[in-house]
Parts: sequence; C-alpha cells; structure tokens
Amino acid sequence: MSASASVNLSTRIRRRVSGGNRIMLLLLHRWDARIALMILSLLTLSGVAPEILVGPLQTATTATAAALLPPSGTHLFGTDDLGRDLLNLTVHGARISLVVGALSAAITLVIGGGIGMIAGYRGGRTDALLMRVADTFLILPTFVLALILAPILRELIGDQTEIFGIRTTLLTIVAVIGFTSWSSTARIVRSQTLSLRERTFVERARLVGLSPMRIIARHIFPNIRTVLVANGIVVIAGSILTESTLSFIGLGDPFQPSWGTILGNAQSAAAPSLGAWWFITAPGCAILLTVAACTIVGNAIDELLDRDVRVRR
Amino acid sequence: MRARRWLLGRLGGAIATILMVLLLNFVLFRLMPGSPDRALARNPRVSAEAMQAARVRWGLDKPIFPDQLIAYVGATIKGDFGYSVKYGGREVTSVIGEKIGPTLLIVGLGELIALAAGIALGTWTGWRRGRFGDRVGTLGALILYSMPYFWLGMLLITLFATTLGWLPTSGISTPGGPGGIEGAIDLLRHAALPIATIALGLIGQYAILLRSSVAESLREGYVLTARAKGLRDERILRGHILPNALLPTVTLAALNAGFVIGGALTVEIVFSWPGLGLLTQEALQSRDYPVLQGIFLLLSVSVVMANLLADLLYSRLDPRVRHGAAR
Repeated sequence: MSASASVNLSTRIRRRVSGGNRIMLLLLHRWDARIALMILSLLTLSGVAPEILVGPLQTATTATAAALLPPSGTHLFGTDDLGRDLLNLTVHGARISLVVGALSAAITLVIGGGIGMIAGYRGGRTDALLMRVADTFLILPTFVLALILAPILRELIGDQTEIFGIRTTLLTIVAVIGFTSWSSTARIVRSQTLSLRERTFVERARLVGLSPMRIIARHIFPNIRTVLVANGIVVIAGSILTESTLSFIGLGDPFQPSWGTILGNAQSAAAPSLGAWWFITAPGCAILLTVAACTIVGNAIDELLDRDVRVRR
Repeated sequence: MRARRWLLGRLGGAIATILMVLLLNFVLFRLMPGSPDRALARNPRVSAEAMQAARVRWGLDKPIFPDQLIAYVGATIKGDFGYSVKYGGREVTSVIGEKIGPTLLIVGLGELIALAAGIALGTWTGWRRGRFGDRVGTLGALILYSMPYFWLGMLLITLFATTLGWLPTSGISTPGGPGGIEGAIDLLRHAALPIATIALGLIGQYAILLRSSVAESLREGYVLTARAKGLRDERILRGHILPNALLPTVTLAALNAGFVIGGALTVEIVFSWPGLGLLTQEALQSRDYPVLQGIFLLLSVSVVMANLLADLLYSRLDPRVRHGAAR
C-alpha cells in the first residue's frame, strides 16, 4: 500500500469511526504496532492453549530426554538440566507469565485508577495526601518491598490452595505487584481527571445533583478509559518484568513455572558457566519480545491519542 | 525567600517519605509470621512467666499504637535494626554494613557509564530523528530496555566468560589471588561484567528519554534563533539544546534509583557478587526478615537522599524552579 493511500485511509477512519475502535484501527496502520500486535497474539495463543501446541507440561518425572541437550530436530530449543523440553516449558510459561502479568496489571489499574480519580476529583487535602503517598511509592525501591511482602503474605494465607486454577503462591505475587506499582497510573489518571473536572458536562452533572461517585463512574471514567488502556499495556510490560524477576529470585511456583522461574532454574543449574546458552535463550527472548511489543503498542496508542487531541483542537 | 520555602518544602517531603517507610516497616514487622513472641509460644517448654518477661522486655505488652511504634522508630533512628536470624544473632547493621561497598562499586560505576553512554546515544538519535541511525539506535534502546537485568547478565557470562574465556564467570576475586595492584586488576576483571550488565540495562531508558527531549528542543524558537545567527550545529547542540534537554534526565536518574537498585540486586545473584543483592537472596531463603527490612530501609533512605540531591541539582540547573516560575 502506498503512503498516500494509507494516509487517506487513516483520515477516513478518523472521520467515521469513534472512540476506542478508531484508535484500534489506526493502530493497525502502523507497521511497528502491527508487528508488535502479531507477536502479542502469538504469545497469547500459546498462553491460551499450550496443551494443544506442545502437549502437557513436562515435569521432572515425565521428562524423557537427556539433560542439557543442545537444540536439535526433536528438541527445537534444547532441554534443561532435568531433561525437560524447553519449547514445552516456554510455551507453558507463557500462560503463567501472561496471566500473572495481566492480573497484576488489572489490580494496578484498579488501585491506581481509583486513587487517581478520587484525588483528581476531590482535590484539596484528599488530593495532597493521596499524591504524597503516590510519590512515596514512585520513589521507593518497591521491588525490594515486594520481595519482603511476598513471603509474608504467603505465610499469612498459606500456599496449598488453588483459586481458578492459579496457585496462591502466584496470587501473592499478583497482589504484591499490584500493591507496589500503582503510583504512576494514579498520577496519570489524576491529571486527566483534573482537566475533566472543569469541563461543562461534569459541571452540569454536578448542578443536576449527581453524587461524586456517580459523576466519577458515569462521566469521568468513560473519558479516561482510552488513557487507561494505553497505560495498562505499559503496566502489563512492567508487571511481566517484575514477575519474572521475583520468580527468578525464587518466589515463583515450581509447579507452575513462568519464564522467570525457568531462568531461575537455569541460574541454579549454572547454565551460563556451563555454556548451555539454549537454556536461557527461549524464555529470555519470550520476556524480551513481550515487554518490547507491549511498550511499542502502548507508545503508539499514546502518540495517536496525542494527535487526536491536537486534531480536535 | 521563595527559594528557601522551596527548599524547606523538599526537605519536609523527604522526611515525610522516610517516616512513611518507617511506618510501613513497622506494620510489616507486626504482620510477620513468627514475630518474637509467637516464635516463643510455639516452644512448649517456655513457661508462661518467661513469655511474659520476654514480652515486657520487647515492649510487646504495651499497646501497638502509640507505644510500640514510638519504641520502634526510636530504636531504628539510633541504628538498632535488630538481629539477623541467619547470621547467628549478629546485629543487622553490621551484617548489612560489610555488603554496601561491593554493591556501591558496581551500581555507581554502572550508573555513571550508563548516563554518559545514554546521553551520547540519545543526543545522537534525537538530532538525527527519523533517519536510519535513529531507527537503529532507538530499536537498540528498546531492546535493552525490555531485557531483565539478570537475563542480560546471564547472556554476558555465557558469551564473554564461558565461550570466549576473557573474564571470570563469578565472584569478586580469585580465591587465594595476589594482593596489591594485581589484586586490584583482579577485582576489576571480576567487576567488569556486572558493571557492564547494569550499564547496558540502564542505557536504554536514558537514551529514549534524551532522544525525545532533544527532538522536542529542536522545535523550540531559541534553536531557530541560534540557526539564524549562523551558529554551527555543534555549538547549537552544546550551548542551546543540551542544557535544556538534560534537565529531565536528572530527575529520571534519581527517580529511577530505586528501580536500578532492584535490578542490581538480581545482577549480583547472577554473578555471585557478594553485595546487598546476594545478601537479599540469602535472607529471603532463610526468611531472615530483620535483614530484609534493614536492606529495604537502607535502600529507601538512600533513594530519598538521591532524590533530594537531584532536586537541589535541578534548582541549580534551572533557576525557574527555584524562583517558582515553573512547576
């Protein structure tokens, strides 16, 4: 497609389609976002149906191959120190990494969005206090806080049960990431809310006598939804990085290994100093691709939103 | 007058942050499974009187708020962080103290190199925005930004230590190695890969930030004026663009300090570098909470200090901030 045709198409989209759908369609007209979305769909697919793609998750007892085999026809990505196929582990790891990443991001957005909207709408002392707390969380080494919090939380609730097929060890990680990474979302949402608060439709709603909670739910939230989505995608990238780091250190669940857990195993097996490069290649590249793709999509949406605002003015 | 008010505000903010950290740490201490008296209660041979005596000694018989909180804050300010579980009851401050040096070495040098290289790369790509060099540089920065530090470290070990054999794989020195100058060289050879990992992991974000702020400055009126005066490109870049574009980097470098430290901890684990990171992992495995909390407190205070310094530096660099013209 020639450049001018693509420009024409995007102006047509801009005119006819509204809201989030328009952003989505415009997104598909950027080559970098297209590649990134393709990568993300592929990874999501392996996260949704790992059994169909590579069979059930191999464990120390079901592994059949020899230990630390380099990549070959039968084991495309090689095997780990227990003889498990790394393709199998990485595809299954996609489910854990993506689900934990997405759930943590969801909690982050709920906390950050909620605090941001309340602070921005109420203003005054509430705002000052909430933003003071947000700034603290922005500055602090929250990762170290997460390190302390995860085992404490785990001992408090015990780790033997499952909720919706996710082990509670992983849920503690979700909770900890959500609790420690909401502050930048809160800042962004607050500044959006501050400007929305002064708009006529919000003032009208106030005059009609709607309660603050209703105004936030009916008038503020729908208008920051797209910003929240853009931020959410970047937050997912951060959550996946944090999750992989926590799992690498040994806070993951050995029965539901994520990409970080596999890399942690590689570290305990001394894979780097044995020269077993294939042990770290597949899971590491999976993290790299996911985080890079999320960052590209998030930035692209941000840029489109910026342009949208400028065009409307 | 305004400048002093601004300074006091910043100082107050820093103190408030540290107080919040103390409060957080205090709450964590109370949540902690196996807190002092619960550990005693599990032991059937401890009599009720002994339990009560211990509770009185630790102040656990007083109400949590405000007595225990005040006692905790008082002890912490005096430098009493409690005792390590793993290291046979040694004081937390001395366990942590000896690990600060090695961590400071790799984090400090890594950060300096990353700043220099990131500023250079970001300026270059921002200046040639949209051209081939920019595309390649930006893609490189994105890739570095998306890598977990520990994975980057593992890759570097596999390539430079195991495959090429240029550098040692782990540790801080060769066991039984030489002293003096040769010992220092040995230390640097061991430190090279950890420093490179931290530097490479950080370059990406500095480069991305500087690229966008240089590109933004390029559109400003003063750049056009400089061009109209017939200044050479290099003069414009050095004298007009960089002083403005560098400002956000100061803030980012400080804001990121906490994040960098988190990443550096995992780098130490990969390289068995005997600093705070390795200590953190050990403490985590043996559930040595006093040490973990000591590390969190130490790192938090350092990060708050770093941000305070950055604020002061920022006000030196940008008089508008000091005089309250811009926020």
